[in-house]
Amino acid sequence: MAGIRLHVISPLVLVAVGKCARDPSVFVRKCAANALPKLHELRQEEITSAIEEIVGILLNDRSPGVVGAAAAAFASICPNNFTLIGRNYRNLCQILPDVEEWGQILLIEILLRYVVASHGLVKESIMSSLLCIESSHSEKDVFDVNVALEDNGIPSRTYDSELVNLVSRSYIEGLGEYLTRSSDTNARSSDLNGARFTSGKTNDDVKLLLQCTSPLLWSHNSAVVLAAAGVHWIMSPKEDVKRIVKPLLFILRSSGASKYVVLCNIQVFAKALPHLFVPHYEDFFVSSSDSYQSKALKLEILSSIVTESSISSVFKEFQDYIRDPDRRFAADTVAAIGLCARKLPKMANTCVEGLLALIRQELLTSDIESGNGEADVLIQSIISIKSIIKQDPSCHEKVIIQLFRSLDSIKVPEARVMIIWMVGEYSSVGVKIPRMLTTVLKYLAWCFKSEAVETKLQILNTTIKVLLCAKGGDMWTITRLFSYLLELAECDLNYDVRDRARFFKKLFSHNLCSQVPEETNALQENKDLPLVLVECIFRKQENLAASEPINDRFYLPGSLSQIVLHAAPGYEPLPKPCSSLCDDLGQFSNSIDRTTALGEEWTGSSSNGTDDPDTSGSLDEESGSNYDSQQSIPGLSDNSGTGDSASEGDRNCDPLIQISDAGIACSNENGASHSGFPDLEGMMSKRALESWLDEQPGSSSPSASEQIQVRQSSARISIGNIGRQVKAKSYTLLDPANGNGLKVYYSFSSEASTISPQLVCLETFFENCSSETMSEVTLVDEESHKALDLADLTLATTAR
Amino acid sequence: MLFLKSMPVIASPTHYIFQIVRAGITFLACTQVEMPPLMGIEFLCRVADILSDYLGELNEDLIKDNFVIVYELLDEMIDNGFPLTTEPNILREMIAPPNIVSKMLSVVTGNSSNVSDILPGATASCVPWRPTDVKYANNEVYVDLVEEMDAIINRDGVLVKCEIYGEVQVNCLLSGLPDLTLSFANPSILHDVRFHPCVRFRPWESHQILSFVPPDGQFKLMSYRVKKLKSTPIYVKPQLTSDAGTCRISVMVGIRNDPGKTIDSIILQFQLPPCILSADLTSNHGTVNVLSNKICTWSIGRIPKDKAPSLSGTMVLETGLETLRVFPTFQVEFRIMGVALSGLQIDKLDLQNVPNRLYKGFRAVTRAGEYEVRS
Repeated sequence: MAGIRLHVISPLVLVAVGKCARDPSVFVRKCAANALPKLHELRQEEITSAIEEIVGILLNDRSPGVVGAAAAAFASICPNNFTLIGRNYRNLCQILPDVEEWGQILLIEILLRYVVASHGLVKESIMSSLLCIESSHSEKDVFDVNVALEDNGIPSRTYDSELVNLVSRSYIEGLGEYLTRSSDTNARSSDLNGARFTSGKTNDDVKLLLQCTSPLLWSHNSAVVLAAAGVHWIMSPKEDVKRIVKPLLFILRSSGASKYVVLCNIQVFAKALPHLFVPHYEDFFVSSSDSYQSKALKLEILSSIVTESSISSVFKEFQDYIRDPDRRFAADTVAAIGLCARKLPKMANTCVEGLLALIRQELLTSDIESGNGEADVLIQSIISIKSIIKQDPSCHEKVIIQLFRSLDSIKVPEARVMIIWMVGEYSSVGVKIPRMLTTVLKYLAWCFKSEAVETKLQILNTTIKVLLCAKGGDMWTITRLFSYLLELAECDLNYDVRDRARFFKKLFSHNLCSQVPEETNALQENKDLPLVLVECIFRKQENLAASEPINDRFYLPGSLSQIVLHAAPGYEPLPKPCSSLCDDLGQFSNSIDRTTALGEEWTGSSSNGTDDPDTSGSLDEESGSNYDSQQSIPGLSDNSGTGDSASEGDRNCDPLIQISDAGIACSNENGASHSGFPDLEGMMSKRALESWLDEQPGSSSPSASEQIQVRQSSARISIGNIGRQVKAKSYTLLDPANGNGLKVYYSFSSEASTISPQLVCLETFFENCSSETMSEVTLVDEESHKALDLADLTLATTAR
Repeated sequence: MLFLKSMPVIASPTHYIFQIVRAGITFLACTQVEMPPLMGIEFLCRVADILSDYLGELNEDLIKDNFVIVYELLDEMIDNGFPLTTEPNILREMIAPPNIVSKMLSVVTGNSSNVSDILPGATASCVPWRPTDVKYANNEVYVDLVEEMDAIINRDGVLVKCEIYGEVQVNCLLSGLPDLTLSFANPSILHDVRFHPCVRFRPWESHQILSFVPPDGQFKLMSYRVKKLKSTPIYVKPQLTSDAGTCRISVMVGIRNDPGKTIDSIILQFQLPPCILSADLTSNHGTVNVLSNKICTWSIGRIPKDKAPSLSGTMVLETGLETLRVFPTFQVEFRIMGVALSGLQIDKLDLQNVPNRLYKGFRAVTRAGEYEVRS
C-alpha cells in the first residue's frame, strides 16, 4: 500500500505500518520495514518523527531479516540519527553476521559511522597517523617527521606518511574542506587532540565491531567483503589491517565489472600502505581477459608495491606486456617501468637499458606511420627515460648521448621535442656532451625547415639554452647557428614560430649585433637586463622539482565516489570523531547554535578538476559573501528588532532563483517539500523540483534554469553544538551591539557539499546574546538574487 | 562510446550507471545518489545468474519470449531500489520456472501468471534460505568439487603464476531440517575461502570444519583458492618466427603431468595481432577455425596416444612490416573429470536430523580458468 504514493493516505499507511512493525510474523515486520522508505519519500514533515520511531523499533528486532530491512530504511531515512543506533548497538553487532547480505552492506556502514561519531578514531589505526603527523608538523619540519616516525619503532612501515595523512583526512572532512582550509593547520591540529582517539584494545564497542565484521570477510557477496574491509581499514590497528588483503584479492576473481571496482579500492590501499600488498604482487599480473581499465589499474598498483625483491619478476612480466597487441597498454607498461625505476633508483640502469633497447627495436621496424599505437609507445619510453635521467643526470651521460645519436632516426615530433629538450637541459653535463653540442645543433639547424611546429619552437629554445652556457670557441659557432635559425624562423609559415623568433631577436639584439664574442664583452652582457631575463626564463627550469602527480581525491573505501572520483550526491564523509558524544552529554543543550551550511554557487568556474581554480574560487566566494552579508545586515536587525510572531515559513533556500521579497518565498513552501534534512535536493524527486520551479515567477533567465537542471541548488541545515571543538577561522557578520543582541558569524565549514563538488559550504552561526527571544531571522543574499529565509529559527534565549 | 562500453561504472551529469555484460546482454542499473557500487554490480550479477538459471541459458530471444517471467522475477528481487529476495531457492518457490506444462496450462486457461499465491515457507522460517517442510522419497546429497585452474606461462615457458579457484557445490535433496558437517582431509592448503551465508563461522575458525543447514537443492557452499601450484597438466609450446613479411607459427600441445584421468575438450584460442593480413593454419589433429575478427580457435578434444597434436602454418604480415613485434596470447581450455588438481580432499560428511536411508555422492572436476600461454 505504501507503493501508492499519495499524500492523502500517508497517515493511514503510517498507522498500518506501525501496527505491522509489531506483528508477530517476521515477514510482515520485514515488509513494514521495506515500506518505511517509501513513506518517507513523500516528505511529509508531520510523520517524520513517527517514521523514525518505527525504524527504532524495527532495529531493535530480534530477527535478522527484519534488521536488514530496517538498516536499509535507516540509511535512507535518518542516516545521522545515531541515538537510534546507540540504543541497539550491541544487539546489531551480534546479529550482523546473520543479516541477509544486502542489509549487511548498509548495516556495516551505519555501524562504522556510529562508532566513529561516538568513540572517535582508533589510536593504533591508520587514521591516527593524522594526529602524530600534524602535531609534529607544528613543531618540526617535514623532514623530522619522517625521522620521528621511524624512531617510533616502526621502521618496517615504508608508507608514504603524507599520503596516509591525506587519505585519512579526506575520509573525515571531504575534499572541498581540505582545499579551502588554507594554512591554519596549527589551529586544527590542536583540535584533533588525544581526546578524539580511542584505543581499539580498551574500547569494547570498537572491538565488538571489528570482531563481528571479520567473519564477513568470508562472505560470498563481494560487496559485503569490501564493506567489511573498509571498516577494518579505518578502524583496526595497523598490525591487523593485513587481514583484509587476502579477501580483497580473492574477490578479484569474481566478475569483470566488480574486478574494476575492487582494483580501484585496492589502488588507494596500496598507495597508502604498500607493504600490505608486497607479498601478493603476483595477483596483479595482467591476464589477457582483463579489460583495459583493469589492466591499467593493475599496472599502477604493481608499480606502487614493487620492491627490490620482486622487481626482477615484475620486469619479466613487463617485458611480456610490451609485446601485447594492445599498444595503448604497452605504452602504459613503459610508463610503469619509468615509475618503478624512480621508486627503486638501484634499478634505474636496468630500466634505462631496457627502454633504450625498446626504442632501438621500435626504430628498426620503422613503421611508425602505420599505427598510432607505436608512436605512443615510443613517446612514452622517451618520457620514462627522461624522468629517470632527471633524477641523476650525471650518471646517465651515455644514455643521453645515445639518445642524441638516435635523433636522426626518430621521426615522431613529440619524441624529437623531448630529446631536443634534453639537449638544452643537459648541455653542461659530463665531459662528452659539451663537445657534441655544436654537431647536434648543426644537425638541428640543417633539418629545421622540415620539422613540425612544436619541434621548431623547441629547437629555438634549446639553442638559447646552449648559447647561455656555451664557453670559448663554441660560442662563436653557436651564435652563428642561432642567428641563422632566427632568420629561418622569421620567415616561417607558422606565426607562432615567427613570433618566438622575433621575441628572441629582440632579447638578443645587443648580443647578436656585436657578433664578435670577447670574454670581457660576454661578461658585461651577462649583467645586461635582457640577458638576465633570458637566464631567468631558461635556466631556472632545472630547479623545478619533479613532482609526481598524485591523484589526491580520496573517498571512503567502497563508495561510489571513490570510483568516479568526485563526491556523488548523497556522499558523506565519516562523521566528526566524537561529535555525537558531545550531543549525548547534553550539557550545552540550552545554548542554541544553529549551523547553516549553505552551499553556494561558485562564481563562474566551470572546471572542477584542478586545485588552483578551487582555491581561487573559494577565495572569490569568500570576498563575495562577505560583501553580501554586509548587505543583509539591515534586514537582519529589522526582523530581530520587531520580533513579532513567528511565521510558519519553510526554510526555503534556493540560491539560483530570483525572489524579490519574503512573501513569495513563503508562498513557495507548498511546492517545495520540507527541507529539514540535509540531503533534500539530492533526494527530492525530479517532479517535485520541477513543479516547484514552475511556481517561480522570476526564474526566467536562461542561466538560472540551466543551473537548476543540474541541481546545484542546495540547502544544508544541520544542528551543531556550541561545544564543537572545531574552530575554523570565523568572520563576524554582525556585532551584538549593532544587531540588538544578535551575534552572527560565519566560517567555511568542514563538510563537502553533498550536492556538487562545485559548491562551498558556509556555516553561519547565530547567537543570541540578549535576554529576549528572537523569533524571525532572515538572511538575504543580494548579489545573486538569492533569498534565504530562516524564519523557522526558534531561537531560545541563551545564557551568555 | 567504445570507451564507455567497457566501463563498469559510468558517470553522467545526473546519473551513475553500473553495467555488466553477460553473454552479449548488457544489464544496467542506475542511481542518482551515493551507494556502494559493488552492491549494484553484485546485484546485477545475481539477476543474470537467476535469469540464466530460469531460462536455461541467456540470450536475447529467450528473454523476449519469457519477458513475463523476467518482470515477475525482477519484481520479487528488488523493491524500491533495495534487493528483496535474491535466494534462488525461494524465488523458485514463488515463481514457477517456465516449462512445457505451465506453458500449456497458461494457453489453455488464459492465466498467464505463474506466481504462486501462497507465501513460500522460508520467509517465515528461522533459517531464511530453507523452506520449513521439505519432503523427499529418496534422500540424497551430492558434493561436487569444481575447480578452475588459472595459470600464466610467460614467453620463456616459465610458469609465472598457477593457482586453483575452486567451488564446493552441493546438491541437497534431504527431508526435514538437516544439519551437515563437512570436513576436509587437508584444509591447510586452502589459501582463502568464502562461504555461503548458511555456513557457521565458529567451527571453521576453530577446527576448519564446515557446519551448515543447507538450502534445498543446488547451491554453492563455499569457494576457495589454492595458490602457488607447481605444475600444469598439459603443456602448450608456441613458436613464432617472422622474416621478410611472413610469419611461421607452430604450436605443440601435450600432456606434461598425467593426472590419471583423461583430459578432454582441449581448446586453444588466440587473437591474431592486427598487423596480420591473412593466416593459413593447419593441424594434424582436431579442427582449426579463423573467424573474421581474427580470433583463431583450435579445438583438439582429447590428446591421442600415438602423436602429439601440433598446429602449423604461415601468416602474411602487413605490407611494409618485416617482422612481427606483437605476439598473441594463447588461451587454453580443458576439462579433467574426476580429479581436483588442487589436491583438496573431502574427509567426511556427517549428517544429523536426517532419515536413515540416505545416499551420499562425491564428484570432482577440474577445468581451465584463465589459463594462458604467452608467446
